[in-house]
Amino acid sequence: MDVISCQELTKTFGRVRALNNITFTIGQNRITGLIGPNGAGKTTLLKIIAGFLRASSGEVRVFSEDPFNNLKVAANMIFIDDQMRFPTSLTLSEILASAAAFYENWDMELARRLFDYFSLDPEQYHHKLSKGMKSTFNMIIGLAARCPLTIFDEPTTGMDAGVRKDYYRALLRDYLQKPRTIIISSHLLNEIEDILEDIFLLSGGEKRLQTPVSDLKEFAVALRGRREVIDKLTAGQEIYYQKSVGKDHSYVVIRRDAAEGLLKKAGRDGLEVFPVKADDLCVYLTSRKRGGIDSVFDRY
Amino acid sequence: MELNSVEGKPIYVQIAEWLEEEILRGHIKEHEKIYSQYQLAEMFNINPATAAKGINILADQGILYKKRGLGMFLSPEAKEKIRDKRKNHTLKRLVEEVVVEARLLGVSEAELLSMIRDAGKVFDEHEGIEGG
Repeated sequence: MDVISCQELTKTFGRVRALNNITFTIGQNRITGLIGPNGAGKTTLLKIIAGFLRASSGEVRVFSEDPFNNLKVAANMIFIDDQMRFPTSLTLSEILASAAAFYENWDMELARRLFDYFSLDPEQYHHKLSKGMKSTFNMIIGLAARCPLTIFDEPTTGMDAGVRKDYYRALLRDYLQKPRTIIISSHLLNEIEDILEDIFLLSGGEKRLQTPVSDLKEFAVALRGRREVIDKLTAGQEIYYQKSVGKDHSYVVIRRDAAEGLLKKAGRDGLEVFPVKADDLCVYLTSRKRGGIDSVFDRY
Repeated sequence: MELNSVEGKPIYVQIAEWLEEEILRGHIKEHEKIYSQYQLAEMFNINPATAAKGINILADQGILYKKRGLGMFLSPEAKEKIRDKRKNHTLKRLVEEVVVEARLLGVSEAELLSMIRDAGKVFDEHEGIEGG
């Protein structure tokens, strides 16, 4: 069963097109990583799924319903980001109590145990917390709510490395105990790669790729060798990334399935073949220019 | 075991290889149930679907067999199959790499063989301590 489905979803803010003609589905009980550079449209997409924003055109279905202004979606979904505001008169433990009243599957014991582990003070106020502590508290709300659809938008903002690691582990262990549909957005893939099942790559408001993470590592391959040999072999192919190495060598990243034939005779042509790390590939697929930042400086 | 995400080897392949080593070391017996995808997910901090993919590689090769509703179990011929596969692929490739490097450095065959023998001695001593 699909928990989310979008058909030709477009969102414009005035003259700016934040999302352009996106079609996809997300199946039940999968962990999806929404990856893309700043300004790709990640938050806009998540807010439309959450029902906070209305699409300009196209169709959005969450639990088979239009999520905008929808109580069923609101009760079964939680959206966590670093902009969350809570009443300033409530202590953290009072916030937990009111969340418990709203979310049907709320697990207060889990919330308390996480509170203890991360040394949060129940009598503290949310607006007095540091940035990292706020993120930690929000994460606890997101996990303890145990919503069938759980959305984390850049959840680790401000967390230190230790807490980030604990957070990903907590997320995975809680998911193993109570499988649910989870979306985590991030501009970094490498930290969350292992716990994801699928990856959704967004850039410039467009969907670039949606694939199981395990396929991503085999999606592309890098070749290094003499420039004229590389240029000849890769002519007519889609090149994801290219850079010069030394005086007359180059390094290119191309699709693996397009390169099968090349790979067999790579050794004979004096080419070296490398795997491409998943997070590097994401950067290549979403980068503004093929040559990366070097293309700005290589003027001559 | 820590997973290595820096090298190009996919996580599910590393899971399959780790299971093979557990089997070769005799930690899992014939017809015994092997780790579930959820146990592996928790042990290695990975998505259970990735763990399942690693298990399925071994099932496809007949190293594991499935009992409906009960999980995956170790085939009686598992060790034999893993040994054959690794000898004909992994070990053969490693030997080729060693030979290429030796040629490049001008190391003679006799010298190479004695290096292999020495490495074997060190390994045996180390295992002796561990075993005792």
